[in-house]
Amino acid sequence: MPIEVLLVEDSPGDVRLTREAFRDANMSIHLHVASDGVEAMAFLRHEGAHADAPRPDIILLDLNLPKMDGREVLAHIKEDNSLKTIPTVILTTSAAEADVVKSYQLQANCYLTKPVQLDAFEGLVKSINDFWLSKVKLPQQRQKT
Amino acid sequence: MTHKLQFALGSAVLALLVTGAVSYRSIVECSESNLWVHHTEQVLEKLQDLLAAMQTSESNTRGYLLTGDESFLELYRAGIATTGKNLTMLRNLTTDNAGQQRRLDALSTLASQQFQLAKQVLRLRQENGLEAATEVMQKESGNQIMDGFQTLVGQMRDEELRLLVLREGDAERRLTQAKTVLTLGTILGLLITGVVGWSLLRDNAQGKDSGAKYRGLLEAAPDAMVVVNQGGEIVLLNVQAEKQFGYRRDELVGQRVKNIIPEGFAERLIADGTRTAAEALAQQIGTGIELSGRRKDGSDFPIEIMLSPLESAEGTLVTAAVRNISVRKAAEKHLAQMEGRYRGLLEAAPDAMVVVNQGGEIVLLNVQAEKQFGYRRDELVGQRVNNIIPEGFAERLIADALRSVEDALAQQIGTGIELSGRRKDGSAFPIEIMLSPLESAEGILVTAAVRDITTRKKAEANLLNKVEELNRSNEELGQFAYIASHDLQEPLRMVASYTQLLARRYKGKLDSDADEFIAFAVDGASRMQRLIHDLLAYSHVGTKGKDLLDTSSEEALQHALINLRGAIEEKGAIVTHDPLPSVLADETQLIQLFQNLVGNAIKYQKSGIPRVHISAAKNGGKKWVFSVKDNGLGIESQYLERIFGMFQRLHKRDEFAGTGIGLAICKKIVERHGGSISVESQPGHGSTFRFALAKSEKE
Repeated sequence: MPIEVLLVEDSPGDVRLTREAFRDANMSIHLHVASDGVEAMAFLRHEGAHADAPRPDIILLDLNLPKMDGREVLAHIKEDNSLKTIPTVILTTSAAEADVVKSYQLQANCYLTKPVQLDAFEGLVKSINDFWLSKVKLPQQRQKT
Repeated sequence: MTHKLQFALGSAVLALLVTGAVSYRSIVECSESNLWVHHTEQVLEKLQDLLAAMQTSESNTRGYLLTGDESFLELYRAGIATTGKNLTMLRNLTTDNAGQQRRLDALSTLASQQFQLAKQVLRLRQENGLEAATEVMQKESGNQIMDGFQTLVGQMRDEELRLLVLREGDAERRLTQAKTVLTLGTILGLLITGVVGWSLLRDNAQGKDSGAKYRGLLEAAPDAMVVVNQGGEIVLLNVQAEKQFGYRRDELVGQRVKNIIPEGFAERLIADGTRTAAEALAQQIGTGIELSGRRKDGSDFPIEIMLSPLESAEGTLVTAAVRNISVRKAAEKHLAQMEGRYRGLLEAAPDAMVVVNQGGEIVLLNVQAEKQFGYRRDELVGQRVNNIIPEGFAERLIADALRSVEDALAQQIGTGIELSGRRKDGSAFPIEIMLSPLESAEGILVTAAVRDITTRKKAEANLLNKVEELNRSNEELGQFAYIASHDLQEPLRMVASYTQLLARRYKGKLDSDADEFIAFAVDGASRMQRLIHDLLAYSHVGTKGKDLLDTSSEEALQHALINLRGAIEEKGAIVTHDPLPSVLADETQLIQLFQNLVGNAIKYQKSGIPRVHISAAKNGGKKWVFSVKDNGLGIESQYLERIFGMFQRLHKRDEFAGTGIGLAICKKIVERHGGSISVESQPGHGSTFRFALAKSEKE
């Protein structure tokens, strides 16, 4: 059974790097990409072109996004009973304490900064795979209220 | 008071006069009545004598007739004489009583008839003998005459007795009258005296006036005192006033006050169309009025008078305390001369000068002050200094509960005080004043040098603006460096990541040129990454610094050594240290500082085992000087200053990699901690970096 991952990221370079890294780590991952916050919410709510989108097992969310930024997306997700059980990992270049605090206040499941070095970045993606997609027990059913 | 007394005295005198007059009249009338009583008694006595004389003559006539004895004739004749004498006396005594006079006429007639008869009888007796005489006597009505005589005398006696009763009653009545008048008069006098006495006592008790007491007060006064009534007449004065003006008291009392104070005094007491006498006086009360006094010898002298009102029965009197101010005037004249000289000095001063008295009034000022404040001199002299320096000046001169005038001033002397001045047109401008005391006859005056500091203030404001601008621009620059390096990192990360990916996937699969190009690209990208990392670290020193707290420098060093573990192990370096103290520091930055210095010490080595030793020594009471000593390459002396600058490097990149920012970060950290960093080095033998940090507050 493939694992559905939603990557919310506006930088194609990062998208590709992440995709490459996941490919090295785990072949059974379906990586979906939303390039801004609005698209991310449409994907999660199966709106428009995303009517058939799967419910992701995990969301990798960048903070600095066009249209609706990652903080707002996070807030919407955690306010939505059907979405809030999805683990949401912040993956961003910002190391600002304010962003870290704000994200955890909005109930982010963890906060990761993108390493500068390629090796380190690959290592981080591997850690995500090993922990969130292998070790962690996630809910299998959609939670309806 | 005087009116009352005069009235009372008049009443008393009148009462006494009336009493006296009535009493006198009563006494006179009474004594007259007594005289009349006495007179009546005299008349009664004479009547008795008259009757007796008549009877004597008649009985002696008979005796001679019977006896012929001549001795009877003697007595007979004596009787006739006494009768005549008494009749005359009675006639004199009763001249005022017509009735009695008539009866006396009848008595005289009867007496004459009787004596005629007796003479006839006696001649008959002598010539014709006893019988003829007796016959005539019996024939003639001799007895009838005597009876008539006796009856008349009785009538007269009755009349006199009646008068006596009347007159005695009259005298008694008058006596009673006199007694009554005297008693009433005395009572009236006593009453008046009593009323006046009581009235005076009451006035005294009310304290409205007590001439003697007030006079005592006047005499006790140290000044000459003159009491004047509304009419401008002197009512009272004291000895001092006599001496002052050279008059005797009696030469002044009742005289016009103009004689001794020719002008300005009497005028002040007089009501005119616009004010009453009381108001006229009220305006003058309590204020010292400077006038001229005139002595008896005609010489004038300066005086100051203080007026106060004195209520009295005569209306409001004015008490004037008159002080001879010749001495003061002389002093003032002297002062004026001094001021003249002082004014010269004032005018020579380059600043605006204002001289102010303790009351906060402007006494003197110079041309510069006129210009500066836009007033003419006469518009300011005598005015309150608050008009031109609204706040902060007058207040500084005023004594309060905590300090005297002198102390208040002494605190301000010589120090420049920045205040605000106000021109005549109402505009304000910044001033600086310098105060200094000036002894004068009026007490301590304050000389204020007032400098317009508009230009300086503008310059200061300008400078402040510039500083603010600079701070803002520095902050912006720091912010810029941070944002720029952070945002540069993103594309750079792409470059670095993809060149590395390229190198990893395609190394050996393309030609050797491609491999070399990719290698340069990877190296450039990673150097730029370090540069940006270090630049961020540098800008963080200023923007992300934390408060300086008590920090264990030994723990900070340990932390730094853990971060450097890789390099230490790689080079086999030996890092030692003495026990290190607590200091006031931002711990993160202290770690960074040690990390950079120890890292450099290990890095810049040719060969052999790097040895690094860290120690600290007290420098004075407040600082610790840390030393990081190595056995490395050392630094040429000409570079000692440069190495703490940004991007300063001493070695080729292929010898030692680096951004040239590490020591600049060290310098910035130490400076942020209020210290300085320096280096001592012997090329080839090693370097010692020293920096000072403040002691922990707990020590």
